[in-house]
Amino acid sequence: MITIKLNGKDQTLPDASVVNDLFLILGAEGKNVAVVVNETIVRPENRSSHRLQDGDQVEILAFAGGG
Amino acid sequence: MKASPEWLTAGDRDSEALAAMLAPCSAEALELETLAAESRAITLRRFGRTMSLYAPLYLSNYCSSGCEYCGFASDRTTLRRRLEPDELDRELLAMKRLGISDVLLLTGERTGQAGFDYLQRSVERAARHMQRVTVETFPMSVAEYRALADCGCTGVTIYQETYDRGRYEAIHRWGPKKDFVQRLETPARALEGGMKTVGLGVLLGLAEPVADALSLYRHVRHLGRTWWRAGLSVSFPRIRPQTGGYQPPFPVGDRFLARMIFAFRIALPDVDLVLSTRESAAFRDGMAGLAITRMSIASRTTVGGYDEPDRAEPGQFDISDDRSAEAFCAALRARNIEPVFKNWEPAYNGPSGVSLQDDVVSEAHPCP
Amino acid sequence: MDVYHLGPQAFSSRLILGTGKFSSASVMLEAVKASGAELVTVALRRFNREQAGDDLFGPLSAIKGITLMPNTSGASTAAEAVRAARIARELSGSPFIKVEIHPNPQHLMPDPIETYEASRILAKEGFLVMPYIAADPVLAKRLEDVGCASVMPLGSAIGSGQGLGTADMLGIIIRESGIPVIVDAGLRSPSEAAAAMEMGCAAVLVNSAVAAAGNPVEMAAAFAGAVIAGRKAFHAGLMPQSRTAVATSPLTGFLGTNA
Repeated sequence: MITIKLNGKDQTLPDASVVNDLFLILGAEGKNVAVVVNETIVRPENRSSHRLQDGDQVEILAFAGGG
Repeated sequence: MKASPEWLTAGDRDSEALAAMLAPCSAEALELETLAAESRAITLRRFGRTMSLYAPLYLSNYCSSGCEYCGFASDRTTLRRRLEPDELDRELLAMKRLGISDVLLLTGERTGQAGFDYLQRSVERAARHMQRVTVETFPMSVAEYRALADCGCTGVTIYQETYDRGRYEAIHRWGPKKDFVQRLETPARALEGGMKTVGLGVLLGLAEPVADALSLYRHVRHLGRTWWRAGLSVSFPRIRPQTGGYQPPFPVGDRFLARMIFAFRIALPDVDLVLSTRESAAFRDGMAGLAITRMSIASRTTVGGYDEPDRAEPGQFDISDDRSAEAFCAALRARNIEPVFKNWEPAYNGPSGVSLQDDVVSEAHPCP
Repeated sequence: MDVYHLGPQAFSSRLILGTGKFSSASVMLEAVKASGAELVTVALRRFNREQAGDDLFGPLSAIKGITLMPNTSGASTAAEAVRAARIARELSGSPFIKVEIHPNPQHLMPDPIETYEASRILAKEGFLVMPYIAADPVLAKRLEDVGCASVMPLGSAIGSGQGLGTADMLGIIIRESGIPVIVDAGLRSPSEAAAAMEMGCAAVLVNSAVAAAGNPVEMAAAFAGAVIAGRKAFHAGLMPQSRTAVATSPLTGFLGTNA
């Protein structure tokens, strides 16, 4: 098991988890989101292969209302 | 032939307001008194009861251009000479004795006798004596303007003379000044070279004055928007009698000139408006406090002329207000206006627009 | 066609709508449609299961003729804003970025120094930078110098509904600017938007005034009409205000009578 920070909260995951696995946890499947792992943007085409490491800081972001 | 720039040729909202003020014949013409009152109120608010004073010093009357209207045009028989370094020092000292500390150095078009190197040496010398040195000479390159700024020149006066391109090309019969667009772009080059102020103007009498006034206004606005750090001034020279006997085809009367000056003050509340000794004592005294914020005093339009004022030789044009510096200042004070001789501190000399390059925030790391 | 340009892009609607503070996404979307806006702002937020409706990209993009302008709200430094801008571009594909940096979450006043730095960097990276700033004429020129596509000075404090409290400074900015000036923040009523347009600004951005109105959709339409009216008035040219002479003795008596 590994532990990462997902949108600021601790999240435990099986070893060998990839970015796409996080969408299930957040309910973000099919949503238009940006993924940033340790300050680096992970593009959609890399999300099924990008392996998460213990201690990763992950932000999943979307557009919300704003002025 | 290079086309005139769009800022000059395209109409704009701003100049429409000016056009309305300049139309003395229309049925709804704003009364001159009304414009004068508004102009006076703006001038008082923005500039107070002060008048900044300068004096011109002709370094040389050599010239390579053939401007029909000018007493120094290259086909005039005027005796040609230039001030040598020791003469220049004497002239500057004589000016200082009159109280002058703001000098405008003048030459004709670029010649072998009075070219850039001569001008640069003269600026250097003048900057040792004077608080503020500006030039009204030939158009230069950006690099030349920067070099002048480096040795103490803070401003450039360069009149387009007329913005009517057809008239311009007709009256500038030969020489480098014939190129309309090259001259039009000179103030921007001066500012790019680090000059802190530029002075613009049209020589009234050469072409239809309302059109020229509107173009002049567009030029000021264009420069103000692009070179927003620059100090801008506008002068209102009218053609004076001079060697060669040129008769202006569009003579401008006192009332139109006054209307134009009031309109510029209202349209350009923050800009220095300049009136020289080409104008009469009565006109200058009247305009002080109403709109004009900068005037020349005790002017000579001959080469030199301050050290040996009695030397009679023809100048570039005849002056009209020939009062002494003392008499002129007394007249200003009588109108409750304070003459200001020092309006600049040379500690601030040097090219403008050069700021510290040290980045406040380092460039963020680009994301892959 | 009366359009204004932001970088290479031309817009005919001069009303930009913010999408925050609405009671629901569906009201917001209806308001956007009613406003006729072609440019709308959105904010970048952490995706949250409880507010899964937050993903506004799809529904907004589905409205015809809409370009998204993400903002950097939440950033309190230039570095944070630059990071947010890059992520937002990834998400939106839009070159527009509203640089909005407020270090103090109470009054939300924009930080001029951080805003300048972020704008300079983002303009170099090819963004169409739209900085939200205090109504400061010098800052506006500095931002123009570093390549911003517009400047967006505030009419009054964001969300305050105090209207054009900065009118004098806005007048200077509009007069001196070589890029479009968009009045952003502080407007409450359509008449204020019309007044801003009459002054000659290129567009106005409103959010709270619509989102917090009794009927946001109707208010969006009201702003749309006001912006069109104000623009027309500017274009037509207002009549001059009367100039009244005050002198008791003539000021121009020294002049002769020749023309």
